[in-house]
Amino acid sequence: MAAAAWDKPPINDEPFVKLTDPGEKVNILMVDDQPAKLMSYEVILGDLGENLIKATSANEALEHLLKKDIAIVLTDVSMPDIDGFDLAEMIRQHPRFQKTAIIFISGVHLTDIDRVKGYRQGAVDYITVPVVPELLRAKVSIFAELHRKRRQLEVLNRCLEERVAERTTELRERADLLELASEAIIVIDLQGGIRFWNSGAEELYGWGREEVAGKNIQQLLCTRAVSNVDWKAELVAHGKWEGNLVHCTRDGREVIVASRQALAIGNNGTPDTILEINRDITSHLKTEEALRKAERLAAMGRVAGIIAHEINNPLEAIINAFYLLRDHPSLDLEAREYAQLGEQELLRVAHIVRQTLGFYRESQQAIEVSVTEILDNVLELQSRYLQRNRIAVQRLYDSEVMAIGFPVELKQVFLNLIANAVQAMPDGGRLRLRVQPGSNPRSGIRGVFISISDTGSGIQPEHAKRLFEPFFSTKANKGTGLGLWISKGIIQKHEGTIDFRTVRTSRGCATCFRVFLPEHISVNGIRVSDAANGTNEMNGDQLG
Amino acid sequence: METSLAEAKRTILCVDDEATPMLLRRFVLEKSGFCVLTAASGQEALQILDRQPVDLVLTDLLMPGLSGTELAREVKRRRPHLPVVLLSGVNEIPEDATAADLFLSKVEGPEAMCRKLSEMLHGPRNNTAA
Repeated sequence: MAAAAWDKPPINDEPFVKLTDPGEKVNILMVDDQPAKLMSYEVILGDLGENLIKATSANEALEHLLKKDIAIVLTDVSMPDIDGFDLAEMIRQHPRFQKTAIIFISGVHLTDIDRVKGYRQGAVDYITVPVVPELLRAKVSIFAELHRKRRQLEVLNRCLEERVAERTTELRERADLLELASEAIIVIDLQGGIRFWNSGAEELYGWGREEVAGKNIQQLLCTRAVSNVDWKAELVAHGKWEGNLVHCTRDGREVIVASRQALAIGNNGTPDTILEINRDITSHLKTEEALRKAERLAAMGRVAGIIAHEINNPLEAIINAFYLLRDHPSLDLEAREYAQLGEQELLRVAHIVRQTLGFYRESQQAIEVSVTEILDNVLELQSRYLQRNRIAVQRLYDSEVMAIGFPVELKQVFLNLIANAVQAMPDGGRLRLRVQPGSNPRSGIRGVFISISDTGSGIQPEHAKRLFEPFFSTKANKGTGLGLWISKGIIQKHEGTIDFRTVRTSRGCATCFRVFLPEHISVNGIRVSDAANGTNEMNGDQLG
Repeated sequence: METSLAEAKRTILCVDDEATPMLLRRFVLEKSGFCVLTAASGQEALQILDRQPVDLVLTDLLMPGLSGTELAREVKRRRPHLPVVLLSGVNEIPEDATAADLFLSKVEGPEAMCRKLSEMLHGPRNNTAA
């Protein structure tokens, strides 16, 4: 076959027909041991405008066949050495020449048996001498045309096959990409029936693709818009839409997704599918919210610090004035009592200022803090809830234990733990706080253990592993899911540990969170090296 | 709550740039049996320290000129064993407050203040092991 005709076809969308030239000449091989006959055929066929190749023997003919793409072999039947039938048989044995047209020219009369033999060898036609020039021309011309058409078809086929292969590769790559995406990629029909559901969607929503095929996406995911927007109307009006949606996952969680949707035009020219890509931004939004909250708290803290300072300065002077007044010798009893009442109320103001405004400010350095004082302080803040939930508080303080740390942060930890315990006992119960010195069993470091136990609902084993993860909450929409995560961070900053366990008995359930704070931490505190002084201070009452 | 000290009166040097609060604080301390010297600035306090015997320095934290923490450092440099107590309206202990021996909130009330100062003056004597 002519190599030129098989040049790699272009991959563009040009019509295939152009790939071969319809006017391209085909090769016609004429075989006869008599050169005169060959010349006469040449004259007869010259008008066809095809390439005429002459061979005076079967061997020569075969040589031409191997070198060129021959459309038609016109051969004499009776030749010395290899005759026409043998040549035809040899030609047919070669796979390349299965389709080559072979026309026999026979000078002697051929019987029907001869003809059948010829056809069996692969002949397509016979011509008997004397040769009628018009007949020969007409026959050869038809076979030449046939060959040209077949060659074009082969080119088209080859070209199509290549294009199919390319498209298949392309589609496979796209399908792989769809599976690679972490986004949920979904195709639905206009009624909402799910047609495609990638592995990103499986992971985000929890349903496998077999489970969702054909189901209605809005019923499945309980879709609703975050803001009051009719996204379906917008999608129809503009052909595309993007915004945030709330979806419900298989395990009942609500996720917020950034969704991009587009109408796709079908074969009939009208939209018939919706393409949808959803990215889970739930934790991203939560992080942003937490950061905003933290920033707000920090700003509030700065303002609170300034206000506390401005209030405290004159407050001290007034408290001192009332203190001096309340047993001033010049006042009668009634006046002294008024002064005493005034002093009491002012001390209450000072206390409130310290409890509320002072809460936000934190020292940059660890100082010596009284663990029991912090616990009592937190209990006081929670006293209303404790009372309302009918929770009995049991304090088992081994001694007045001091620890080195950041009081506000430690207060935050115990506030979290105590608030969690209170919330676990909506129908009342017992809250037990135990403080005792001891050594960490693993490291042997000395310090203090603080245990907070409740008789509440307990921690489910499946939640235990995730309890200290950020945004993990068992309190549905009530908690931020950050409390224990922050607490763990604070305890780690103090070089301590925090763990918990739930014990279930026939009488109920008890959960205990245990915090260990080491005696010394590597942060230099104002009085870390002077711990004995602090103890004196605490026991000062006994000295006087 | 009047002083239970039988021995000689202890002298507290009270430092504050605000006159009225310092005056009232002085009365409270005197009522508790302390002898009180006052200074309106850190500089003045240092001058008094050079001239007169003092048992404890009670200084406000935020003052123009020398701040309470700077004064504490300067006092310790001159008299390492002289107790210095910082008194402040802020709830935050400043980072550089390491020179002071104790940090007191202004609004703990007069009785708590006098008790803690008294402990500061007498405590170490009963606990030399420290």
